[in-house]
Amino acid sequence: MKKLTSMIAFLLAAGISYAYAQMSADQIAAKASHMAYYQGKDGRSYVKMVITDAQGRMRERQMTILRFNISDNGEQKYYVYFHRPSDVKGMSYIVWKHLGKDDDRWLYLPALDLVRRVAASDKRSSFAGTNFLYEDVSGRSVNLDNHELLSSDGDAYILKNTPKDADQVEFSYYKVWVDKKNFIPVKAEYYDKEGRLYRIVEATQVKDIQGYPTIVKMTARDLNSGSSTVADFTDVSYDIGINDSIFTERYLRNPPAQWIRG
Amino acid sequence: MAVKKIKILFAAFLLLIPSKSAFAEFSGWHGFLEGAFGGVVSQNDPAKHSNYNMAEERLQLKTQYNFQGENLLSRWQGVFRFKGDFTVDEYFAGRTDFELREANLSFTPAQLMDVKVGRQVLTWGTGDYLFINDVFPKDYVSFYMGRDDEYLKKPSDALKISLYPDLVNFDFIVIPLFTPNTMPDGNRLSFFDSFQGGISGNDPQRYLVEPGQEAKNFEYAGRLYRNFGSTEAAIYLFRGFDQIARSYKNEAARQLYYERQDVYGASLRGEFLGGIGNVEGAYLRSPEDPRGDNRLIENSSVRFMAGYEKDLGNDLRVGFQYYYEQMLEYAAYKRSLLPQDIAYDEYKHIITQRITKLFKNQTVKVSLFNFYSPSNNDGYLRFSVEYALTDQWKITSGVNIPWGAEDYTDFGQMKKNKNIFVRLRYGF
Repeated sequence: MKKLTSMIAFLLAAGISYAYAQMSADQIAAKASHMAYYQGKDGRSYVKMVITDAQGRMRERQMTILRFNISDNGEQKYYVYFHRPSDVKGMSYIVWKHLGKDDDRWLYLPALDLVRRVAASDKRSSFAGTNFLYEDVSGRSVNLDNHELLSSDGDAYILKNTPKDADQVEFSYYKVWVDKKNFIPVKAEYYDKEGRLYRIVEATQVKDIQGYPTIVKMTARDLNSGSSTVADFTDVSYDIGINDSIFTERYLRNPPAQWIRG
Repeated sequence: MAVKKIKILFAAFLLLIPSKSAFAEFSGWHGFLEGAFGGVVSQNDPAKHSNYNMAEERLQLKTQYNFQGENLLSRWQGVFRFKGDFTVDEYFAGRTDFELREANLSFTPAQLMDVKVGRQVLTWGTGDYLFINDVFPKDYVSFYMGRDDEYLKKPSDALKISLYPDLVNFDFIVIPLFTPNTMPDGNRLSFFDSFQGGISGNDPQRYLVEPGQEAKNFEYAGRLYRNFGSTEAAIYLFRGFDQIARSYKNEAARQLYYERQDVYGASLRGEFLGGIGNVEGAYLRSPEDPRGDNRLIENSSVRFMAGYEKDLGNDLRVGFQYYYEQMLEYAAYKRSLLPQDIAYDEYKHIITQRITKLFKNQTVKVSLFNFYSPSNNDGYLRFSVEYALTDQWKITSGVNIPWGAEDYTDFGQMKKNKNIFVRLRYGF
């Protein structure tokens, strides 16, 4: 009996790993995108980013990010409230993330009581002056790239992602290491038009939060400028009941107090 | 004067409250310390000091308090916000001042309702440095001197009620105390003085008569707005006074006043051709001179603007705007003029252009903004470079170059105030 159980277990395990081995590159990319950006119905985290330039000078950004999924691996809404540094404290930012067209973004400047519409066609620009790009924060649509499975040896799948429209981006391709256990993308390497590695984004710490494997520490390194940014995610929670109405002008002007403390 | 003393005492009292108190509901104190200097590069500036127009130190302090506990304001998520500037103005021989920029209480007494009462900055509308339906007070002296953009907006003492039903959002504002724009008046920036018939920097001995503090002079502003997808539509209404003293109360006594004004306007803003497009317009009614035949009182007008902004990638943004203004009842206005009066044009056109580029991980911001009016043959160039040395230290330098063929047009009258400025700021 015992033999039979272990035999079944072995067969199952083999079957599962066989099935996984059969997962297409597209499926792996979609799963990784889900794990990095779409877990839970909504989420909140307090983010501290420390930017270090080539001379070792440090700058800091602190913010609360609220996220709301409209559909899995589809449209989302983000609310970002800046706590630090003091010259941006109190600013809030809303993104309606779309696939296949430009996001809608609004920025609120409390000193002027001004709600500005932000023209945002370039998702490959720096997020708040850090080494993270807008696409690192809110995700890059899996449909924008062709995915190719380079290797499934070891603990991670290695995907090569080549943009369908090369003119829209600064890289020629990027490689992503996806953890086989939980499908968290743990590392991404970006290669420029000459094929040189110039940018590395790495998840350096992953924690289980409410049953969701969650990246709680990340680094982005720009090899050309020598600067890097470390992001720490604390106070992470999922399924806290954020609703769609938060992502409007009302709450841009009055940050929702139950989730954000100015 | 007494009011000013009370304000200073109030601010000093707030300072006594510990910044890192045991109560988490206090945000602590933030703000900045700034030194600013602006050297005049125009020839023969007739203002008080001909070689500079800005030399000041400023300490801004702000804090907020989130009500917590069982009381009503806590249940209503009440927040008290304070922001005030202490200044030392070397232009006026080291004169010290305190400006209360914000002291307001906001709360949510019902699920679909917000209230904000007290001193607050008010803004709406879609323009970039151009305002049609934003009838709230502005400080153009700060703007031309090269102070931070924050100081273009002046606070109002107001009650703002916002409602958010599903169909349309609604803001209703009552302003019991009229606040005019701060306009160049010769004390610091030279300007066109119609009484002296030219650009003046002398004390012009003009009197700007404000509406009396009576209930009938309360100002009311309303906005109805909603989104259609991500396109924002708004309708604006205003009953109050012109923010600039454009009309004559008593010519012989050199009295100007802020005539009554009603504004009915609308705007649209949304994604357009891979960027952001906006259109805004309004009819400004002059109830004291509806037929336009009184040469002493500003006529009614219509105003319109259209703008477009695009992100070109690599932290480079460009924007363009076109602004149009037409004086109504122009024939009656022309007939009413006396021979010595300046006859203003019926139409005014302004084109603006903005380029903003960020460098070095967004720590350097270079900005160029141009106003150009082909009808008035004048314009105004604003250029600045801002460098965040660290998270605390920031240096900003720039130029303000107003120019014009005539002395009496919007920008032409400012032509002797061209300056180069530098500001150094420490934020905390």
